Amino acid sequence: MEKINFDDNFDAVVIGAGHAGCEAALALARLGKKTCLTTISLDAIAFLACNPSIGGTAKGHLVCEIDALGGEMGKNADATMLQLRMLNQGKGPAVHSLRAQVDKNKYHERMKKVLEENENITIKQAEIVEIYAENNKIVGVRTALGENLSAKVVVVATGVYLKSQIIIGNYMKDSGPNGYARAEELSNSLIKLGHELRRFKTGTPARINSRTIDFSGLEIQGGEKNIQHFSFDNTEEILNDYPCYVTYTNLTTHKIIRDNIHRAPLYSGLIHGIGPRYCPSIEDKVVRFPDRERHQLFLEPEALSTNEIYVQGCSTSLPFDVQKQLYHSIKGLENAQIMRYAYAIEYDAIDSQTLKASLESKFVDGLFFAGQINGTSGYEEAAAQGIIAGINANQKLDNKEPLVLGREQSYIGVLIDDLITKGTNEPYRMMTSRAEFRLVLRQDNADERLTPIGRTIGLVTDKKYQKFMQKREKLQKIREKLAILIKRDEKLINLLTECGESIPDSSMRIKDLLKRNNITIFDIKKHYPEIFEDDEDMFLDIINTEVKYEGYINQQNDEIEKLRKQEQTKIPEEIDYNKVKSLRIEARQKLSKIRPETLGMASRISGVSPADITVLSIYLKSYKG
Amino acid sequence: MKEKTICALATPIGTGGISIIRISGNDSLNIAKNFFVSKHIDFENIKPRYLYLGNFISDEVKDQVLMVYFKAPFSFTGEDIVEFQFHGGQLLAQKILKSLLTKCSLAEPGEFSKRAFLNGKISLDEAEGISELILAESDTQLKAAEILQSGKLTEKVVEMQNKITDLLAEIEANLDYPDDVEEEQLFEKSENLLKKLNSEIIEVLENSKNSNLIRSGVNVAIVGKTNVGKSSLLNALLGEERAIVTNIEGTTRDTIREKIFIDGVTVNLIDTAGLRESDDVVEKIGIEKTNKEIKNADIVLLVLDLSRELKQDEIEMIENLKNRSHIIVGNKSDIKNKKFDFDYIEISAKNNENISEIKKQIIEKTISGKIDFSKLVLTNERHISILQNTKQKIENALNGQKVNLDIEAFILKDIWKELGKISGTTEDEKIIDLVFSKFCLGK
Repeated sequence: MEKINFDDNFDAVVIGAGHAGCEAALALARLGKKTCLTTISLDAIAFLACNPSIGGTAKGHLVCEIDALGGEMGKNADATMLQLRMLNQGKGPAVHSLRAQVDKNKYHERMKKVLEENENITIKQAEIVEIYAENNKIVGVRTALGENLSAKVVVVATGVYLKSQIIIGNYMKDSGPNGYARAEELSNSLIKLGHELRRFKTGTPARINSRTIDFSGLEIQGGEKNIQHFSFDNTEEILNDYPCYVTYTNLTTHKIIRDNIHRAPLYSGLIHGIGPRYCPSIEDKVVRFPDRERHQLFLEPEALSTNEIYVQGCSTSLPFDVQKQLYHSIKGLENAQIMRYAYAIEYDAIDSQTLKASLESKFVDGLFFAGQINGTSGYEEAAAQGIIAGINANQKLDNKEPLVLGREQSYIGVLIDDLITKGTNEPYRMMTSRAEFRLVLRQDNADERLTPIGRTIGLVTDKKYQKFMQKREKLQKIREKLAILIKRDEKLINLLTECGESIPDSSMRIKDLLKRNNITIFDIKKHYPEIFEDDEDMFLDIINTEVKYEGYINQQNDEIEKLRKQEQTKIPEEIDYNKVKSLRIEARQKLSKIRPETLGMASRISGVSPADITVLSIYLKSYKG
Repeated sequence: MKEKTICALATPIGTGGISIIRISGNDSLNIAKNFFVSKHIDFENIKPRYLYLGNFISDEVKDQVLMVYFKAPFSFTGEDIVEFQFHGGQLLAQKILKSLLTKCSLAEPGEFSKRAFLNGKISLDEAEGISELILAESDTQLKAAEILQSGKLTEKVVEMQNKITDLLAEIEANLDYPDDVEEEQLFEKSENLLKKLNSEIIEVLENSKNSNLIRSGVNVAIVGKTNVGKSSLLNALLGEERAIVTNIEGTTRDTIREKIFIDGVTVNLIDTAGLRESDDVVEKIGIEKTNKEIKNADIVLLVLDLSRELKQDEIEMIENLKNRSHIIVGNKSDIKNKKFDFDYIEISAKNNENISEIKKQIIEKTISGKIDFSKLVLTNERHISILQNTKQKIENALNGQKVNLDIEAFILKDIWKELGKISGTTEDEKIIDLVFSKFCLGK
C-alpha cells in the first residue's frame, strides 16, 4: 500500500453528524480527544428527518439513559421542546415514557452550536469516500475532494445516506433524505474492509401547510406540566405547550389506496429493501388490516418558524397524485397544500452481527459503527449507539477496556446486545417489551443505574454529579422515613377509610401503609404533610414505586443474579466450535459466525438451544486453549 | 473427547420372535466386521440403511443374523450405528452381546437417548419420554411413557404458553403503542385466562396424582394374624410369576417384599409380621413396623381365617381399615365353618382358588378410576413439580390485587417462563412478532 500523505491529523474521525454522530463526537471530544466530525451538509446536523419528536415508549428511556451517561440528546430535547407528555401513565412506572414534540429547526441549531463551541471538535462539510486501514487497523479517511485525515479510530454514523434512493410512485432518485446528497462511495470502502451490505427501507409522510388545514373539528392533544424532563439536570417548569391535533383516515381514504395499490412501489416490486413492521406506510396498514375502518393520525408542528405540519401515521410511497387524493380525503385536510410529498427511502446497512459489544468491527481494529447503518431505526436508538461508540472509541485510544452495558443495566444494553447477538432483519426499534428486566429499567432511575458509570468514564461533569449525589441523598432521606410509626388514631383511620383500606388493630409504619394497594405516598402526604414537607414529589414518586414493586423487583434481581454468572463466563476468542463435539450443527454454525463474547450472549443467539449452552459451558470448564 | 462405542440389547429380554442388538459409536462398523460374515457384503462400500443377511460368528456363537448400518449423523443417536437382528431368546442374545463386549462397552440405561439428545437428534422432552420408556417396568408405565413420547405434554404446554403469548402481545402492544391500541379489558382477560389455565393444570395434576402407582408400583400390605395363611396366599399370588419376580430383602427383618405384575401394573406385595397380642418388647417393635407398612401401603390386604371365630384385634383391625382402601380376604374356604357379615373375598390359598379375584380388586381399588389414560398422565417428577410451581404462581396472581399493566405482564411472563421449562421454549421474539401481526401500529 502506498504511503498516504495526511492533510490533517486527528485522534478520531466521526463520519456523519446525525443523532449517532453528534453523540459520538461529543463523547470523544469531552473525553479530550481531537475529533473531526464530517457531514455531507452542515445544514443536516442533528436533522430530524422524520417526525419532529423525541422520545416515546422505550425511546424516552433511551434518552434518559443517554443523559445519565453524560450525553446531549436529553438536554437538546428539553431546550427545544414544544410539548411534553408522559405516555402510559396509569399503566405502571416501568412503562412511563416521555415523549416530546420539539422544534426541529431549533433542535438542529442548538446541537450544531454545542458542537461548534467544543474546542476539541472540528466540524467539516465533506463526503467521506474511503476509510483507510493498514494491517486491519484504522489509519484515517479520505474526502471526496481528496483531503486525507488521519485518525486511529473512525466512527461510521452515516444513517440512511449510503447509496440511498428516494421512491415516490415510480419516481426513483439517487438521493439522501430531504434532498440532501447521498454518500456515493463509502459503501464500496466498507465492502473492501469486509463488511457486507444489505438494503433497508424506511419512509416519511407528507408535510402540509398549517394555513390550509381546518383544525376546527379536530381533537386537540396538549402537553403536560410538572413532569420529569429528559435531562436529570433540568428541573424548571416547561413553558411551552404547543398543541398537536388528532384526525383519522376513513373508508374513502382506504378506497383511494386500494384502487391505486398497483402503483405503490411496495407492491409493484420497485422497493426491495426491508422496511420496519412498526413503521408501516398507510398502504401497508390498509392492506394488512382490511377490517379497520379508520387509522389514527397526528398533526404535529415541525417548528415555530414554519407552517409545516407533519402527518404522523400516514407515511407512503404512492405517486404524488394519489397522495393528493388520499390526504385530501382526511378530515381537516380537505384543502391542504402538500409542501413536501411523502417518500420511501432505501439505503445500505451493515449486518450488526459483525460488530463486537463495544460496537467495534470484528474485522477492522478501531472501526466503530453507530446508528441506522447498524440496522436500527429512530433518533434515540441512533444516539444511544453514538454515545457508546464514542465512549468505546475513546477507550480504544486510551487502551482501556470497552464499556459494555448489561441488559439488566439499561435499555442501551438491551439494544446493543440484541443487535450483536440476535441481529435484525428489519430496521430495529426499541420497545419496552424487548427489555426482560423492564421493572428495574425505569426512566426515573436511569441516573441511579448509569450516572456512576458515566462519571467513571469521565463524561459526567462535576456539576451533574453533584446534582446526582444530592438526589441520592434526598431519596435516602425519604427511605428513612418509611420506618416512621404512625399511631392508630382518628387521623390514620381517616386515611385508611378514605382509601378504602381495612383498619388495623395497632399503629403502622409508613412502609406498611404503602404496601397497601390503594394507598400511595401522596395519600399519606395529604394526611401527614409534616412528614414529607421538604420532599419533592418527583422523589416521593420514586420511593413509592420502590416500595410497591419491592417483591417483583426482588424477583427480577434474583433473575439478574443468575444471568450475571453466564454473562461473566467469557468465551475465549480463538475457540473452535467444531471441536465441541456435542453441539448441534446449527448451533456450531451460528456460534462460529457470530463468535459471542460471553456464554450469556451465546444463549441469546437464535438457533442456540439451552442444551447447547449446557454442552458449551461444560466444554468451557475443561477448556485449556 | 471421543465417545466410546457402546452396545446393548435394544429389544425386551426374553420375549418376541426377534431380538435386536444395537452398537453406536465411531467403531461400530469395525466391530461389526469382526463378527459378521456374508457373501453379500463389502464393508468398504457398505450401503447405509440396507439389510444384509449373514452369520454372526464368534467363539461363543454362530447363528444367522440380519445386519443394518446407519451412517452418522443419520441415525437415532447421530453416531454410526450397526444393528443385528436375530432369533429371539435370551441365550442367543446373551452370547452375541458377550462377544461384542470384547470390543466395546455395555451401554448404560438411557445412554443411546442421551447421545441422541446431546447430538441434537431429539428434544429434551422426547429424551425424557424415552428415559421413561427405559425405566418403565410394566405395560401401564409404558403407556404413560408413550403418551409423553408422542409429545402430548409438550403440545399441551405449548398450547397454554401460546394462550399467554396471545394475551401478552395484546398487553405489550398496549404498553408500547399507547397511541395506537385502544385500552381493552386486559386485567379481566388476564384473570379469565389464568383461571382457565389453572383448571387445566389442576386436571392434569389430578390425573397424575396417582402416577407414582405406575412409576414405583402399587404397594399392597398383607396383614393378618399368624396362621391365617398369609404365606400361602403370598405364594398363590406369586404363582407362575414367581419365575420373574425378584426377591428383594425387606427393610425389616419381619417383612418380605415381592413384586408381581397384574395387568401390566407393578404390584409390590409386602408380607408384614403377623399381628399378635403380645407384651413382648421385641414383638411390639414388630407390630409397630407392621403399622408403619400399613400406613404407607396403597392398599391393605387383610387375611382372615374362615375356620375360626374372629379375634378381638381382628375386629379392631377391620374397624380401623374402614377409612382407607383395603381388601378383606377370607382364607381356607376348603375347611370353612364361618361366614362373616361384611364384604370379603372367599379363597383357598392352598387350593389356589379365587386368587384372580384378589388381583382384580387390587387393580380396581388402586388404579382404576384414578388415572385416565386417555388424558395426559405425568410420570416425571420434574414435570409434576413445574406444573405445581405454575399452579402456585397462577394462584398467587389470582389472589393478589391487580396492580398495573407492567406488573401484570411481568406475572404472565413469569408463568410463561415456568411452563417453558417443560417445552424448552425461551424465545421471546414470538411476542413481538405477534404484536405486529395482530395490531396495526406505528407512525
